[in-house]
Amino acid sequence: MAREIPAEKALGLLRSRLCDPNFAFKALSHSDDSNYSKLKFLVSSSITEACNNSILLLGPRGSGKIAVLELVLSDLLQEYPDMISVIRLSGLLHSSDNCAFKEIARQLCMEHQLVFSRMASFDDNSQFMIAMLRECGLAHKTIIFILDEFDLFALGKQKLLYSLLDAMQSVTSQAVVIGVSCRLDADMLLDKRVRSRFSHRKLLFLPPANEDIQRLLEHILSLPTDSSFPPDYAVAFNTKLQNILADERFKEIISTYLNFDSTVKHLLRYLFRAVSYMDLESGMLSLENFKAALSNIQRHPKLECIKDCSILELYILVCMKRLEIKEQNSYNFNSVMKEYKSIHDSVKTSDYFARNVCLRAFEHLLQRELIGFTDNRGQNHSVEFTPVKLLVSFHELHQGLKSYGSCPAILQQLMDRQK
Amino acid sequence: MDYDEESIKNILAKPSRAHELAANSQKGRFFGLQKIGVKKIPEHVRCHKQTDLERAKAALLLASLPKSLPCRDKEMLEITAFIKDAISDDKCLGRCLYIHGVPGTGKTMSVLAVMRNLRTEVDAGSIRPYSFVEINGLKLASPENIYRVIYEALSGHRVSWKKALHLLNERFSEGKKIGKEDDKPCILLIDELDLLLTRNQSVLYNILDWPTKPHSKLVVIGIANTMDLPEKLLPRISSRMGIERLCFGPYNYQQLQEIVSSRLKGINAFKEQAIEYASRKVAAISGDARRALEICRRAAEITDYRLKKLISNSNNASQGKSLVGMAEVEAAIQEMFQAPHIQVMKTSSRLSKIFLTAMVYELYKTGMGETTFEKLAMTVSCLCTSNGEAFPGHDMLLKIGCKLGECRIVLCESGAKHRLQKLQLNFPSDDVTFALKDSKELPWLAKYL
Repeated sequence: MAREIPAEKALGLLRSRLCDPNFAFKALSHSDDSNYSKLKFLVSSSITEACNNSILLLGPRGSGKIAVLELVLSDLLQEYPDMISVIRLSGLLHSSDNCAFKEIARQLCMEHQLVFSRMASFDDNSQFMIAMLRECGLAHKTIIFILDEFDLFALGKQKLLYSLLDAMQSVTSQAVVIGVSCRLDADMLLDKRVRSRFSHRKLLFLPPANEDIQRLLEHILSLPTDSSFPPDYAVAFNTKLQNILADERFKEIISTYLNFDSTVKHLLRYLFRAVSYMDLESGMLSLENFKAALSNIQRHPKLECIKDCSILELYILVCMKRLEIKEQNSYNFNSVMKEYKSIHDSVKTSDYFARNVCLRAFEHLLQRELIGFTDNRGQNHSVEFTPVKLLVSFHELHQGLKSYGSCPAILQQLMDRQK
Repeated sequence: MDYDEESIKNILAKPSRAHELAANSQKGRFFGLQKIGVKKIPEHVRCHKQTDLERAKAALLLASLPKSLPCRDKEMLEITAFIKDAISDDKCLGRCLYIHGVPGTGKTMSVLAVMRNLRTEVDAGSIRPYSFVEINGLKLASPENIYRVIYEALSGHRVSWKKALHLLNERFSEGKKIGKEDDKPCILLIDELDLLLTRNQSVLYNILDWPTKPHSKLVVIGIANTMDLPEKLLPRISSRMGIERLCFGPYNYQQLQEIVSSRLKGINAFKEQAIEYASRKVAAISGDARRALEICRRAAEITDYRLKKLISNSNNASQGKSLVGMAEVEAAIQEMFQAPHIQVMKTSSRLSKIFLTAMVYELYKTGMGETTFEKLAMTVSCLCTSNGEAFPGHDMLLKIGCKLGECRIVLCESGAKHRLQKLQLNFPSDDVTFALKDSKELPWLAKYL
């Protein structure tokens, strides 16, 4: 009983670490060549030298762009306490120019304890922003604009980007514009006027190398040996962990997992699941936890969907497959019914159902996206006449039938036969 | 927390009063901002003596105005002559000037420099006063708002754009004075003129029609990027705009070199060859002065970064004198203008690399760039079985394709289309080959690339 409490505490600590991306990226950001130190140098020199800068952070999703940015900002807010204001915008929420200027005005008013009015017009808000930039520049305060999902701000006339970058160029302002995007061609989306004013600084975020991943695993999963845990428990836990990490089978599990996606966020998601399987009785991680997590996290939704189908639904899928093999490129529910009837006529199965039951099964398949309409404009016609197509490949259907519990033998034969 | 309190404040207070006193409304602006300017200017910014590199970086900032504008003397003389000619007569005749050139060639800067010089002449009393209104087409909420902005600049009152149009018509067509102003000529500078284009082109027509009226005393200078903007307009407008044009061509490398060197005068931080190298590179691509300045500034930053890391790492008290050389300029150009996709492809996951190889292989086999997910899955399956890799399953492959599509390495339709999803490489297959053929973990990819 007494041993459960440190185990639960350990589990809580590990889970909270895994949910906080800053913790993981802090471990990866020690070298001088890391994106963390480059970004920190750029922003801090903009603050101390009173200059303007714009930079784009690019990289696949989950590579840590926002996490590293937050680390840099929290460090800078401690080093220069009153000299920074941070304005955060997101392309998903504020891509319309009106909305974006209003949001900037609101955040500026909040930062400096001014009264904000929701009814100010577009012109008012943009002039307010420029006036604030000038005033903050005179007072040596830097305003950092973070534009998340930057590529969404580049739709339309790009008035926000133009105004910001132009103000940075002509007014006594001290501003840093940091755009974050997962599209690698985000700077190509800019209009030529905006591109000319943008300073083309880019930081690329790439997945970590293998050695870094090993170090990261150790750093995240080891318990601290200070007084928060009973010392023998912590030491035993860490030793067991080292054994697991050195095990060849573990290395294979991790590399199989990372074959799919090698970003850090993906890895953290997996570790969270593995850690959640930890046995609270023994209070230790084991290799089985990692294996179970791997099989659980790598799922095959389509195969599972096929396994969940009823026999009639399988019949319909097989009929559609046969129609496609016969090169009938456009077919609808009626054609499928004809094929179904012809099968029943030639083979005399026991699974012959009425038309309205088949229609229900057909609609189930549509809802589960195993089949789909060929174009969405045909929604006005009834379900029976709209052309449909299979959304699973023949290979997947074949595999699904093979692993189906009680698949009638006739279906397998129909699949295999070409006619 | 703050936002809730403030919204309650907004509800409880009388709406019109709160709106007037709000910092972002028109009238409230001067109440709030003085609070910001009053804070103490921190000492440390002025304290430490700037190194040469830091002075160079400050001089190369786009925001710092150069003392003089090199390489645009001829154009500035022409603009000065145009304006003086237009406003010097007692009966000022309205004129239009159309300035065009690619971005970064100094158009707005030249006009503003000319206006500053004329301002000093007005103060000295050698020419009559005039009013100057500067408008940017891309900063207006809509093209019609330009009337409101012009009227507000001339009279100080804010009215709706329809009323403003009416009043401006009276002013320019009929010569009625606005407010207490005397008969000053008005110079209107419109930046990003092509944004004022509406469907029936009425805004542009009005603006360019007023100078032709006898009592208008309006001089319009329009700036845009395209050489043939007047030709794209209706004939009645192009006849008014297209007569006087001034072209600002892209800079050649000597001009760029002069621009950068004149900013760095007195600061010994750059090697001559480095500036020349940057100028030649930019002149070959676009001739944009901003790009040249940013490359040089970035090169200075890289040098500064390396220097500071060296000092902090080796605890060496001596400040090595380090000039910005061609290597740093080359590094800046690589960083700023090299497309990042090759590096991303090189470091992508194992299955992503197999996916991309399969796409290149399909391209070679069928000769068509576009393929469907089903065909691609079969190709991947063949590749995997012939090289001893485990096939990941259609679902995982779809996810990988969508992830590559999110980065725009591959162009793909929505993943909801499953096997009917169409995919296409977004980059030439040579780039993919270059990135993947020397991969250490998958040497067999080279066979298919």
